[in-house]
Amino acid sequence: MRIGKPYRECVFALIMLLGILPAYSLSAEVVVKSDTIFRFFERDTAVERDAAVLPGYEYLQIDAGQLSDYGLSFHLYGWGRADFADNDYYDDQTDGELLYGYLEYRQKANRFGARLGRQHVFEGVANEAIDGLRLSGDLGDYFALSLYGGLPVGLDSTQSRSGDSIFGGRLSHRLGTHYEIGVSYKIIDNDSETAEEMLGFDLSAFLPADLSFFGSSAYNQETEDWAEHSYELRIPLGSVLLKPYYQHFSYEDYFSTGANAVNPFRPLAQSAEELTAYGVDALWKLDDAWTLGGKVKLFDYDQQDKAETYSVLLSWQGDNLTQYGGEIGHTTTGDADNDYTLVRLYGYCDAMADRFWIDFFSADLLMAYYDKAIYGEDSSLFLSLGGGKRFMDDALSVKLSGDYSQDPYFDDDLRGMLTMSYSYDKQ
Amino acid sequence: MANKSILSISTLMAVLLLVAACAGLQSSYAPPAQHPSAADLDEAPKVCTNCHDARGEHVAYGRYVHTADWGKNHRPEATQGEAVCAMCHQTSFCNDCHATRVELKPSLKNQSDTYRSTPHRGDYLSRHRIDGQVDPTSCFRCHGNPKAAQTCARCHG
Repeated sequence: MRIGKPYRECVFALIMLLGILPAYSLSAEVVVKSDTIFRFFERDTAVERDAAVLPGYEYLQIDAGQLSDYGLSFHLYGWGRADFADNDYYDDQTDGELLYGYLEYRQKANRFGARLGRQHVFEGVANEAIDGLRLSGDLGDYFALSLYGGLPVGLDSTQSRSGDSIFGGRLSHRLGTHYEIGVSYKIIDNDSETAEEMLGFDLSAFLPADLSFFGSSAYNQETEDWAEHSYELRIPLGSVLLKPYYQHFSYEDYFSTGANAVNPFRPLAQSAEELTAYGVDALWKLDDAWTLGGKVKLFDYDQQDKAETYSVLLSWQGDNLTQYGGEIGHTTTGDADNDYTLVRLYGYCDAMADRFWIDFFSADLLMAYYDKAIYGEDSSLFLSLGGGKRFMDDALSVKLSGDYSQDPYFDDDLRGMLTMSYSYDKQ
Repeated sequence: MANKSILSISTLMAVLLLVAACAGLQSSYAPPAQHPSAADLDEAPKVCTNCHDARGEHVAYGRYVHTADWGKNHRPEATQGEAVCAMCHQTSFCNDCHATRVELKPSLKNQSDTYRSTPHRGDYLSRHRIDGQVDPTSCFRCHGNPKAAQTCARCHG
């Protein structure tokens, strides 16, 4: 069996884990979570019509060290796939990925944190996976700083990693729960060429009458113009929450990522299109269980014709994860030249054990109606039914689900999935 | 190019020195590393504000209440309040949707979890050609780098 790059990355991460275990073997908390997924469906391959495709996935998560308190810990999460049908369906696809694998040290004083290894950075303008170091902490009561640097994981499939780098950080100022403002920066080099350099500003403000205001802006340093503004107000009116919002995107600045540009977004960076979107989300909490919601969003472009989306949702939430609901929405498009209506009904019952052998049951029904037929079909239907049972004091759960789809791309498509989730928790 | 690298490294060193200099400044509040479990609490509160003030002294927990549209609207909280999110969620939970390279779309990996508001449910292959023209910016957030765009490459090259 060929040992692929994802496996080498996992081995490296496990060596890091073994490095810290001796020091913490007596007091270490260990959590291991495993999702093993088997799927069955049929697809056309290069040499066969309706060939059986039988992938098996393993998603493995390991957390060890001081997990429930501040201190030193190790975290790993990744997935791998085996193709049991062994046809050419997955020939051009990677068969696994280390999503993260890092050592972390957290200190309560100053909320200091250090992470070393593969990790995902969510802050300010960053939504990036990196192989590197991130440091963060408070600078007294009113300021906080985080910095990161290393190799961008998103670019490790292009050429070699030589000349790739990512650096960035965020400096924020807060005053209790009155407000927080942050400035952030990131620069990504791909093969020694600047792929992306963004400057960001984010804000949260808590105003009188329980009003709150959130938003962010991003400035593209390469094109020297604003790429995005997104701001929203939250207005609680008793049991109703209104969220009017405004967004503006300049395609030239938002999609222009230089040497990092990929299809289908590359042409958008040349389009000089400007999109202004605004609307309001409304949620009405009818009681502890029922919620009614609505959404209106209008899209106004410089070049395209306007578009609009409207939707209404209703949900009922019971104990634990039990929930039933439905949503109907309509999208009116401009140059996309196809309006559609989407209807969804779903349910998840988490209290079956008293009456049935299974512990939980799920159902999902989606129907889409297209004003103009796509490949001769003016609608699509998707139905998914699933059920499962928990064993070993809920440490192991087994789920079986089946999907049926009739849509413009697939006729009478049936898919099956068996998921076994196991959790070992020594805390 | 060498000058740029030197500038980046110098900037990083300067900021690290700044961090070291400020290390003596104590902040007054750090949230717990991990939220107590439902078993520890003897109950399973549905939302943060069942126990916490919507606008407490240190954290405005009201903004973290998982409303029915939370799955589509948690960006401000995720980018500003990672420490609060991390009390209950590990990064693997976020990685169901936000990851550089996953093969199973979130609604497929968690097909039975119909209570979770995951994107791309059902026949999204048909709908994405319309949604992608109406608002391609939302596609770009997750599929905007070469590795994440491998999902798109099968058809879009």
